Parts: sequence; C-alpha cells; structure tokens
Amino acid sequence: MVQINFALKEVNCKIVFYGPGMSGKTTNLEIVHEKAPEENKGELTSISTDGDRTLFFDFMPLDLGNVAGMRTKFQLYTVPGQVYYNSTRKLVLQGVDGVIFVADSDAEKMSENIESYQNLIENLQEYGKDIRELPHVIQYNKRDHANAMSVEDMDSQLNKFGVPTFEAVAYRGEGVFPTLKTLAGMVLESIDRMDRGGKRAPAAEPARATQKVGKPAAAPAPRVAAPASTQRPSSPKSAGSNRAAAAPSMATARPSARGKAPVAANPRPAAAPMRTSTAGKPALSQNRRQAQPVARVPARRASGGLALVITLSVLLVGAAAGVVYFFMGSNLS
Amino acid sequence: MSEAKKMSRNDKLRHDRLTFYKDDIDKIDKLLAEFLRLSGAKSALLIDKEGHLVTKRGEIKTIDIDTISALVAGSFAATKEMARLLGEEEFTAMYHQGERDNIQLGLVGDRTLLTILFDDRTTVGMVRLYANETAKKLADIFKSTMGRQHESPDLGADYGTNAKKSLDKLFD
Repeated sequence: MVQINFALKEVNCKIVFYGPGMSGKTTNLEIVHEKAPEENKGELTSISTDGDRTLFFDFMPLDLGNVAGMRTKFQLYTVPGQVYYNSTRKLVLQGVDGVIFVADSDAEKMSENIESYQNLIENLQEYGKDIRELPHVIQYNKRDHANAMSVEDMDSQLNKFGVPTFEAVAYRGEGVFPTLKTLAGMVLESIDRMDRGGKRAPAAEPARATQKVGKPAAAPAPRVAAPASTQRPSSPKSAGSNRAAAAPSMATARPSARGKAPVAANPRPAAAPMRTSTAGKPALSQNRRQAQPVARVPARRASGGLALVITLSVLLVGAAAGVVYFFMGSNLS
Repeated sequence: MSEAKKMSRNDKLRHDRLTFYKDDIDKIDKLLAEFLRLSGAKSALLIDKEGHLVTKRGEIKTIDIDTISALVAGSFAATKEMARLLGEEEFTAMYHQGERDNIQLGLVGDRTLLTILFDDRTTVGMVRLYANETAKKLADIFKSTMGRQHESPDLGADYGTNAKKSLDKLFD
C-alpha cells in the first residue's frame, strides 16, 4: 500500500512484476537497473537459487525524485514464477500498489500465462483486492520468439480487463521502460485521485467509464504514452473489458519489437547480475532529510473578516467626525 | 462508474494507505531515542509491513535502508506463513544472530515492524526487555492516530502534474 510520510517527505509505492516462470520478470528488473540513471536507483537484490531462478523475490528501489516537495520512490519487486512457490509469491504481493504482468509470447506458454494471471487474481483476492481496481498492465515479452503468438490472440486470451499492453523483448531492453512508465503513471494517478478524495472536479478522472475498448476512435492515447509511433488501439474486446477500473486509458501501447529472430532458450543476458548487484549504490537513503513541520493553511473565517470591516468603518467614521469638529471649532472661534 | 462507487473506491484507497504526520513521527523518534539509551542498541528502524521505512534512529549511516527494509519485511512475512502452518496467527518477534551484529525484529501494532540492530555492547535480553516496552508505547501512538489515517493527505494540487513530468524525465 502507498505510504505517505510527511516527516520524511516521502511517498513510497510498491510495484510487482508478476507472471509465469521464465517469462522475463527478473530480466525486466535487470534492464531497469542497468539503464536507470545512477542517482535514481538503488542496489538490485536477488534472493535466488544457484540456478538463477528467483526463490523469494528480486528487489530494487527506484527514486523518481522530488515531486511537489515529496520524494517519490517505487519499490520494484519480482515474484518467483514457478507454480510451487505460490506461498512466497503471495507474500510479495502484500501491500502491492501496481502490477506488471509479464507474459511469455511463446504459443506453448499461453496456458501458463493464463494460469498465472488467474493465480494473480486469486492471490489478490486473498488480500481483499480486486484486480479491476488495481493499476496493472500486461507486457507480452519475447516477441522475437519464432513461435510467438499474435498480439491479437494474446489479447483475446489474456487481457480480460482491457488494460494497457506492451510488446517487449526484455533482454534487449525493448519495451521495458514504456511498460514501467505507464504502470508508474497509473499508480501515481491513483495516489493523486486518493489525495483529491473526490473533493475536486471529476474532470481529472480518467474517462474510462465511458470508453469502449476496441473502438479506436473512442480510445485516447495512454496518459503516460509510449513512443507515439508504436501505439495502436487495442483489439476488439469482450463485454467485460470496459471494467478496467484502474487503467487511465484503454488504449494499447506497444513498442515496435516485431522482428522475429531465432530465440535463445533463456532470454537473460549471460553477464546479467543475478545476485546482489554492486552497481548503483543507493543515493536514496543517506541522511538526506530533515523533518519539516507540516504547514496546514487554516480555513478562512468569514466572521473574522466581517468584524475587521466593521472596526475599520467605525474608525473611519470617527476620524471623519473628528476632522469636521476640528474645522467647525476653528471657524466658530 | 457511478459517483457512489467512485467515492467508495476512494474511501478504500484511503483506508489501505499508511500516512504518517510529523507530530506522530516526533513522538516515535523520542521513544526510539529513549529505547536506544536504555538498551544500549546501535540503531532502531521502524518499517511498515510492505518494507517502507517509517523512521530511524541511531548509527545507520552505512546501511542501505531501502534494501534492509524490504528484506526485513520479506523475512517477517515468510515467518508469518510458517506460523500459519503451525496454527499460530503470526510470530511477533524474530532474532538474527551474527558474529558481531545482531537483529531483533518485533511487530508493533498490526502494520509496522520495530527493527533493532545491536552488537556486543549489550545483550539480547536487554534489547528484548526494552523493545517490548517500547513496542507497547508505539502501539499506543498508532492507536491514537488511527482516526487520522482516513483523512485525505494533502500532497498539494500540483502533485499529479509534477509526477507526470518527473516520469517523463526519468524514462525518456
């Protein structure tokens, strides 16, 4: 869950990469760690087996910097994808603010994708969360796989709620940042909406309730857009797809990773750090903040203003009377 | 989505989040400083169950706070699952012993963890004794602030706009 700390002047959000085993969740995180600016990232920590399979989770903090006076940070986690690690997968989901579901585009993996997505729905339900109300996106990874399904087929089988989807070849870094950027935007949008608490005009609310997914003319570009040349509207969806409550846009944003090259069995780069990386020492946590008082503007009191006006009026009348009396007295004498 | 549903969703979001105000953190910091003085421990971190730091006191300059917070929350969550398998609701305390440094973890209220780092300048008994007392006092502070958790935090009107700009800057 979002933590808002006015003493540290911080907003903390938790984002989880979810999906079946070997779909590329850890690779996504490694690419983020590799390419994020040094001052914005902390260490990448992996709790994994000797075979480089995630055992508990991978973790890295990503610092968005100062946003309207609040240091905004994302804690990025992956889960172990293998079926028998469900208990640990569920633990990582605790308090999640947004999910990136990383699906494997290999046609033979579609059943695992569907099973994992269903598992996500069920695990969220155990925390009392409805996936339709949780910011989430789907990444179709391994688009370079020779046996990759068409995006339309993947959409129809996997994207039940019409959320934004992205094509990716994660180990080459393609599609990784657009996916994360969109999800991060959706999470921050949910915080902003929470902050407004329904008090402000609903114009800032995403127009999702009236959007018809699958009708490109009615589908605006994502609020946090992927490269324009790669966006395209999502394919026609089932009737349930307009329930994607957390999605700021129903449009599908896809990077242009359409090339079909032969596929490596394991998409992770051979030199990728799987244990704790030493790169990017965290610039996040070094005695940087002095707590400041929370300034709260008091409500204006109408009665106080009225009393001030009356007092000033009386003084003015008194002064005028004094001047008149002075001149009259002078004339009389 | 109807207005009524939107409101209930906002209510739910407000209920789910954790908000800490400076007045409350000042009280917590005072308690932690007193705890460190009495117990002889090196440092104390208060972390929420999602692995975000709430506040800290003591010698912690060289520690990667973000990572240790995430790992502490993860290990505590794992022991909760172990407790469940044994028929317990959750274990309320954990202890990790090292050659030089040790960590004592304790649950405070429902949503935060008191993490204490100490070395051979004190003993685990002293740390546990004062940690239990401190945890009770901290839980009292959290109880008294529960009502404020449901208020809307004032992040400022520009937060959403600035957040989008920051995202563009970071990712483009």
